[in-house]
This record gives sequence, structure tokens and C-alpha cells, in this order.
Amino acid sequence: MSVTTPSEVDRAEPPARPPSGPEGRRPTVSRRRRRLRPYILAVPAVLLCVGILYPFFVGVSYTVFNFSAANPNPAFVGLRNFAEITTSAPFWNSVRVTGSFALTATAVETVLGVGVALLLYRGGILGRILERALIVPLMVAPILAAIMWKLLLLPEVGWVRPILEGLGVTGYTGTDSPLWAFLWSVVVDAWIYTPFVAIIALAGLRSLPASPFEAAAVDGAGWWFTFRRLTLPMLWPYVFVAVIFRLMDSLKMFDIIFGLTTGGPGDSTTTLQINAYLESISYARYSRGITYMVVLWAAVYLISMILVGYLRRLQNRTAGEAA
Amino acid sequence: MNSERSARHGIGRRELLRLAGLGTALSAAAPLLSACGFGGGPADEGGSAADDVTGAFDWKKHDGKTVKLLMNKHPYTDALKAHQAEFTAKTGITLQIDEFPESNYFDKVTLELQSGQGGYDAFMLGAYMVWQYGPPGYLEDLNPWIRNASATHAEFDPADFYPNLLTAGQWDFTNGNPLGGDRQWMLPWGFESNVVAYRKDVFDKLGLVPAEDFDGLIELAKTIDSKASSNGFGDMYGIAVRGSKEWATIHPGFMTMYTRLGLKDFAVENGRLKPLMNSPEAIAFTDKWAGMVRDSGPAGWTSYTWYQASSDLGAGKAGMLFDADIASYFQNENTAAAGKLAWHPGPKGPDGNLNTNLWIWSLAMNSASKNKEAAWWFLQWAESKEHLQYAATQGQHIDAVRQSVATSAEYKDRLAPNTGFLETFEQVIDSTKIQFTPQKNFFDATTSWAAALQDVYGGADAKATLDELATSLEPRVND
Amino acid sequence: MTAPGRPPGPETRRRSPVAAVAANIALVVYFAFSLLPIAFIIALSLKADRDQTTTYLWFSPTFDNYRTVLGLDGGGSSYVRFFLASLTTSVGAVLVSLVIGIPAAYAAARWRFKGSDNLMFTLLSFRFAPELLVIIPLAVIYRQLGLYDTAVGMIWVLQLVTMPLVVWILRSFFADFPVELEEAALLDGYSRRRVFVKVVLPLVRPGIAAVSLLAFIFAWNNFIFPFTLTSSNAQTVTVSSLAYLGGNLVRFNLVAAGAVMAALPPLVLALFIQRYLVRGLSFGAVKG
Repeated sequence: MSVTTPSEVDRAEPPARPPSGPEGRRPTVSRRRRRLRPYILAVPAVLLCVGILYPFFVGVSYTVFNFSAANPNPAFVGLRNFAEITTSAPFWNSVRVTGSFALTATAVETVLGVGVALLLYRGGILGRILERALIVPLMVAPILAAIMWKLLLLPEVGWVRPILEGLGVTGYTGTDSPLWAFLWSVVVDAWIYTPFVAIIALAGLRSLPASPFEAAAVDGAGWWFTFRRLTLPMLWPYVFVAVIFRLMDSLKMFDIIFGLTTGGPGDSTTTLQINAYLESISYARYSRGITYMVVLWAAVYLISMILVGYLRRLQNRTAGEAA
Repeated sequence: MNSERSARHGIGRRELLRLAGLGTALSAAAPLLSACGFGGGPADEGGSAADDVTGAFDWKKHDGKTVKLLMNKHPYTDALKAHQAEFTAKTGITLQIDEFPESNYFDKVTLELQSGQGGYDAFMLGAYMVWQYGPPGYLEDLNPWIRNASATHAEFDPADFYPNLLTAGQWDFTNGNPLGGDRQWMLPWGFESNVVAYRKDVFDKLGLVPAEDFDGLIELAKTIDSKASSNGFGDMYGIAVRGSKEWATIHPGFMTMYTRLGLKDFAVENGRLKPLMNSPEAIAFTDKWAGMVRDSGPAGWTSYTWYQASSDLGAGKAGMLFDADIASYFQNENTAAAGKLAWHPGPKGPDGNLNTNLWIWSLAMNSASKNKEAAWWFLQWAESKEHLQYAATQGQHIDAVRQSVATSAEYKDRLAPNTGFLETFEQVIDSTKIQFTPQKNFFDATTSWAAALQDVYGGADAKATLDELATSLEPRVND
Repeated sequence: MTAPGRPPGPETRRRSPVAAVAANIALVVYFAFSLLPIAFIIALSLKADRDQTTTYLWFSPTFDNYRTVLGLDGGGSSYVRFFLASLTTSVGAVLVSLVIGIPAAYAAARWRFKGSDNLMFTLLSFRFAPELLVIIPLAVIYRQLGLYDTAVGMIWVLQLVTMPLVVWILRSFFADFPVELEEAALLDGYSRRRVFVKVVLPLVRPGIAAVSLLAFIFAWNNFIFPFTLTSSNAQTVTVSSLAYLGGNLVRFNLVAAGAVMAALPPLVLALFIQRYLVRGLSFGAVKG
């Protein structure tokens, strides 16, 4: 399968040369109109955004009140919600859980995704058939995926126990232990999103230039050397894009963990999002729940800023090397 | 080079900073924006809309109106839907029924009430929800309606409801105060007492009888767990109970047994709630309960909700179920265990008490409804002897909340094929009531309690876990 | 084996049979893991009530669940109506995003104007914002504006899902398109608008098709917005698939049948956009 960027496809067909039209239209467009043009084009999108952003800022404004079902006429409390939350044990527990879930899931998906991409890149009949099926988990609604996996994992109902027993593994108890509740959440996240990493890594592999690899082959470099010194560094800018998306998404992952464990056993899988949900919906303490979410949102922002900065340096460096 | 191009159009640090700045600026303007979304329903001082209803009662008074209902997907709702044409014929009111599955139903109700927009006129809820939805004024006091003869038909007969069920819908919104009082926030519609259902065939074959005390129950579960499979009952475990990290794990079997052993959730001292889940007796009980599940319960217990627990009984995987009587009742037809179930009140307390916790699906009116009169016309019909008798005999509306229905021959006949169901019901009904201390943070308290129970089940020290629960809960429930 | 047209690249040079077999085994293991839950849900959708939690693979399959979900057994069902509502809202959301998003994407790709970066990043941030944050205020606003449980309301809120996709991906397509072509056409005396319609749009048509399908899929699969902002009129099929998780008996088999049918449109459409998937999923950051 050859790799063509869409733009290359476009260029392949010669653009239709427009028949000569009425003369002298362009100079009549005033300069002012030309300067306004991008705004005219973009304004509808801006308006639509503002409409959607309004509830967002209303939500953010809840954080400075003590609004809850028990206190329906709230008072302004400044930053007290933030102070209360960040000095509470459940908050720090969920920070730890959120962090370790996001890091573990992203790491597993990256390694597995790159591995799958390398295997598929080898080609072969099997590879080409299976590549078609790669996307399937990504196309199932996450809420349905969570329900599906919950059933699969239930020892009395699902297929996981008989499969494990077939492999000689006994003592399977589903998500009963904190460790396994955590690991199974990672497995389900990896089930959905490994294809995402694999698809991007595969595209990266297919667009790498041939010459460095030919030179390495001429020098008689081994597979591992080529992989470590050439493939991985050249592929990294692509993989890193996938890493950013996965890290950001898994920091705010809700459906899967809530569907599988509702944050249990104990508080072992209670992430920031789950605390936010419990506080704002289940316990009807709106201000506190939204404060959790704003903290998460700020963290996602900060981390994405750092990572995107790194990505740009990475891409500039790669571009510099290529030049 | 691809990456070069993407660098040009990538997300810029500057862009991020700029947006973050925008966010800060706008949240500073928050008080201006916050006008929308705050505030509960109308304060209940200043008279009820029920007082505006005068003249002779007339079923047809609201002919042509539509009442919007937010309902849980439930057999009670099915019975209502089957009977609704009769209501429309009688009153001329059309019902618009929106149903949601139980797993998401209360999220929907919370958002709905919180919006304060009266999108639904009436909805289903339970007593614990009154403790959360009542204080902000989301619920309409139904007593002025019931007492106004112009607004309520003559045969309504509120005294016909089991008194404990009616009381469950009353509260003065003061943390720790008992249920009761002059305001009726909801009317009972159908209810569940929490008892033990068991496999009669298994008990017969193994020569077992239901346990009369808690230690007996633990032993019984162990016996079933170890002997059932060698006696041709497949891979059967001893006892199913709920175990997921949700408030609903505490209230059925666990709370019933807890209460029968004489234990309380909170003490009220000088108007403050003091958690008692870590009293020495409560610690011992929690440890035993978790041990019982560990020894003779299902693997994967920490994700068990009512439907996992009850469907295991129906599928022949569990020998007993300590949960809502109707959860097991529904497993007695169309399942592998159909016709093989029997009921028993469960273990007694040391003093022989059969104190039982209950769940009542009830109907309430949204205080923000713009259609209160028509909504009340619906409520009094849905709560009438006429509908409840129909629903309990033609539909699956069990257990009946009206004594006239529960004692009717037709109702008893229909339940008779379920071994011990009626006898159990009659034994526990007088001691069946809400056993929790009423308080506004019920869902936080019970969800955290369930999490602690899971920890103990996982092997954590019961005393340390429950001490920590009590310490962390105390400021939250007194907030 | 090397397929014709495949560029030489970082592939393994050693083609030992052992490595090939190992690679194929690894692939089979991964795809067994990847497709197992799908097989499970399909099997579950074919089970009768009694079988739903008591059997693994050996049961006599029945299509009764599909009949029940579709209302073909005379029991009445709103599934088909909700399916059509899903179609309306997803297609509507994509169309609105295209009509409004294409000019914005074009403007962002062609000109650096004041605020363009803010606009683009604001759009992208929707992708990463926790949806729960807007749900509580949105529930109030929708009631006040009469948008609750309407197709229009759903189409509007789904812009949070579809608009960032459309704008970011199409911007990358427009940026690929050489400015020289447009300038040549402009020199020939065409207006901007005609150049855009006659020259630029036809060339990015494959991109528009791909992004439309991808946006459709994400709109279709969204749960939280239709769950919180609709009830019986504009409810989508993803929400209504869960409707059987309640009642006297929990009917996982019916949930499975509903879920299988709800997952079909995204799966089928996904086959058509394999080529543009990379750019789509990475918001144009990787061009595949």
C-alpha cells in the first residue's frame, strides 16, 4: 500500500484551468473588505462558540459559591472550595489514581500500539486483512464498550474467567482487588485506544524516508540497532502526537472506570472525574463537584501546554535535520 | 515533510496561554453570569397552590391538559402504561411518560430538578431522595392537596396506606430528626422489604432450613457453597448480596441485618450527627458480613448491583439472596430457577426482632411544575385503590402499599404460588420502615460506607477502615 | 513480501520464517483480544432470556431480541424512531459544522488574522474539556430556551463534538493546497468566492467527505449530551440502547441487540475513510 498524502493526490490531477472570465474584477475589491474577509468567514464559528462557551463559564462561576442542594441560595465564598478540596484526602487520592491511570494507560497503549503498527507494517496477507479490523474498537460508543466489558469481566457471567481457566489461570475474581480493578480499567482503555496509537504510528512508518534505512542495511546494521537508532527516533514525532492525545483523554477518562468499578473497590479507582461526578450529580454538591472539574481542566491545560511546547521543539528539530 | 507542516499548524504555547487568560477574565465576571442556575423551587411558605382549588371535586376539571412524567423503567411504570387509557378516559388528561433505566434514572432526576424549570410535573423517587431533593424546595408538599376536598376525590382514603410507608415521605429537613411531621413530600407507590429468598429444592435436598440468627446464616451460606455443587446443583455459591460502590449496597440486606442486631448508623448529639459505623458491635458485624461474602459469596462481588445479585439467584448460581423481596419474586418465572424459590424473613435479632429496612418507589410532584392541579389529578388517580388494585393484580405492582389491596383475596391468590412470600411479608410488615437516620448527605454517607465495606472485604482491618470512615464522614454530614 | 508501490522503509530486513511466524502469532493474539468483546456482544444478542447469564458459547441462537428491540414482535418499541432521531441529529450536526466550519477553516489556513489563533485553540479545547463541566448549566439553559429534547438543541450542542474536528482537519487540508493555484485563478480575473467554489472546494472534496463521516461517527456515539438533554422526542439510539438495563428482569440480551445495531453505522462508515483516518483522528497533526 503506498503512502500518499491527500495533497499529493490533489496535485496528481491537474487543476482545472478556469476559463477566462470577466476582466478587472479583482482590483475593485476594496482593501477594507479584503481585511475584513477572514473575519466575515470566521464570525459564524465564533458566534457558535460563544453560545456554547456561555454554559461553560456559568459552570466555572459555580466554583466561587457554596452551591448545593442543601444550600440552594448560595453565598460567594471566594476560593474556599479550592482550599477545602486541595486539603482533603479524597482529592489527593484521586490525583494519585488519575495520574497513575493516565500514565499507565498511555504507556501501555503507546508500546502496544507501536508494536502492532510494526507488525502490520511487515505486510503479509494476514496483516493486510487484520489492518481492516484495527479500527473496530474505536468505533464502538465508549459507554457501550464499558457495559460490554463489565459483563465480560464478571466472573459468574463473562468469558474472561473460562478463558483464563482454559489457560490454566485460577482464582480469577474480576475487579475485586484494587490492583486488578486498576489493571482491568487500563486493559479496557487499551482495548479501545491502542488502535488509535497504532493507526498513527503506522502512518508514520509509511512516510519515513528510505535512504537512511538503505544506508544502514548496506552497513550491515542489525534489526535492533536499526530500530533503536533509526526507526524509533524518526517515528517519535508521530507517536508523540498520539501520546499527547492519549494522555489528555485518559486524564479525564470517566465512562470506562465508572462503568467497570464506579471507583471501587474502596477508593482505589476513584479518579478526579469520578469524584467530580459523585459530588456534582450523586451528592448534589454542585460547587464542590465543579471545583474538582475545574482543577482537572486546569491540569489538563497545563500539561498539554508543556507537551505541545515539547512537540514543537521536536518537530522543529526533525525539520531542521531533514533540511 | 509532514512534521514540518504540522509544526506550523500545531497547537501553540502562546495560544494556550491566551485562552487560559480569557478563561480567567471571564470567570472574574462570574457573578454576573451566575444569575442563571441558582435557587431552588419556590419557598413553601406563603400558601399552597392547592388552596386555590375550590368547588366540588370533578375528575374532568382538567380535560385536555397534558401531564409530563419522568419515570424509572420498572414494572410499576409498565402497569401504569397499561392502565393509562382508563385515566385519560376518566379525566381527559393525557400522560406523557418518559422512562429511563434505573442505572441513570436518578442522574436524570437530579439534573431535571436542579434546572428548576418544571419540565416534568411528577416523577418517581424514594425516601432517601426526599432528604436530598426536599431541602432545596424541589418537592411540592402534598398534604394541602390531600386535605382539600375540592381537590381530592372522596375515596382517596390516605389512612389505607401502611402507616410506615406514609411516614417515610414526611420529614422536617432537620438533620437527625425522625421522619414524620405535617408535610407529605411523596406518596408510596410500591415497596420492597428486604428478606431472604432461597432455593427450596437445594434446601430440601441438602436437608437445610432457613437460618434464624445471623451466625446461622453465615454457616448456612457456607454449607450451600461447599455442598451444592456435589449434589448436582452446578457451580452454586452460598449467598448473593449487593457489593458495588454505591449507596444502594448498604440499604437492603446489610442495613436490615445491621438494624436487627440493634445497630444504628448515627447518633444525634446536640444537633450534630455522630457516625456509629465504628462502634465495636458495628465493626464486628461488618467484619462478619464481609467474611460471609468472601467465604460464600460470588467472585467479582464488588461490582454486584441488585440485578447481578438477583439474576444469579434466577440463573441457579446462588443458593440464597438477601435483598428486596420483589427482586427475587421476579426471578421466580422465566428463569432457570423458576418455581423453585421460597421466602423467609431472614435472621432475627438477638431479641427476636425482625426490624427490616425498606425501599419505597413513590410519586412526588415537582414544585416547579406549571401544571400542578392536573399533576395532582394524576397523582391521586395513580395512588387510588382503583389503579393500585389493577396494577397489583393485572400488572406486576408488588408489594402493595395499600392495606386494602394487600389484603384482597385477588392479590393473595396471585402471590400464593410463591412459597412463603406472603407469610414473610406479613411477618415483617409491622417492623418494616426506614432504618436510617434522616440527613441531607445520605448518598455521600452510604456510598462511602459501601467503599469501606469493600475495603474490609478486600482484607483491610475493619476497625481501622471504619474508624477512618467515621472520622472523615463526621464533618461532611454536619456541613 | 513487498507490495508494489510500498516505499522501502524501516522494515525488518531479516525475513526469517521464525520471525514471520512469531509476528503472525503476535498479530493473531492481539486481534483475538481486540475482537473478543465484539464476538461476546454478538453472541449475547442472540441468546434467549434464560441463556443470557448461564451459557458461554453453546446455546441455540435466536433473533427474538432483534425482533423485540425493533418492535417486530408487536410489543411496541421506539428503537426505530430513536435510530432515525440519531440520523437526523448526527447528519444535522455535521451539516451545520460544514457550512459554518469550512469558511472558518479556510480563513484560518489562508490568513493570519487577529484572534485566529484564539479561535482555533478555543475550538480545540472543546476536545479536551470535561463535558460534565457544562452539563449542569446547560440543562437549565436548554429548558429556558425550549431546546430541551429537540433535534435543534441536539444539533447545536453536538457542535462541541463536530465543529473542532471539521475546522482543524479542514484547515490542514486547505493549508496543503498550494496558494499559487488560487493566485493564478485570481489573476485570470475570478472573484475570491468563485475561486473558492470552483477551484479550492473541488480539490478538498475528499477531505470534506472524510471529515464528514468521522464527525458523523463521533456525533452518533456521543452519550452524555443526548442523555442529559433529551428524553422521548430527540433521544438517540446510543442512549436508548441502555433502556433495557432495568425493569423486573435485566435484559442484557436486548441491550446487546440494541448496541449491535447502534454500532453498525459507525463501523460501516469507518471502512470508507480508512485513508483519511490518521489525519482525522489526530486533528490534522499527522497527515498519513
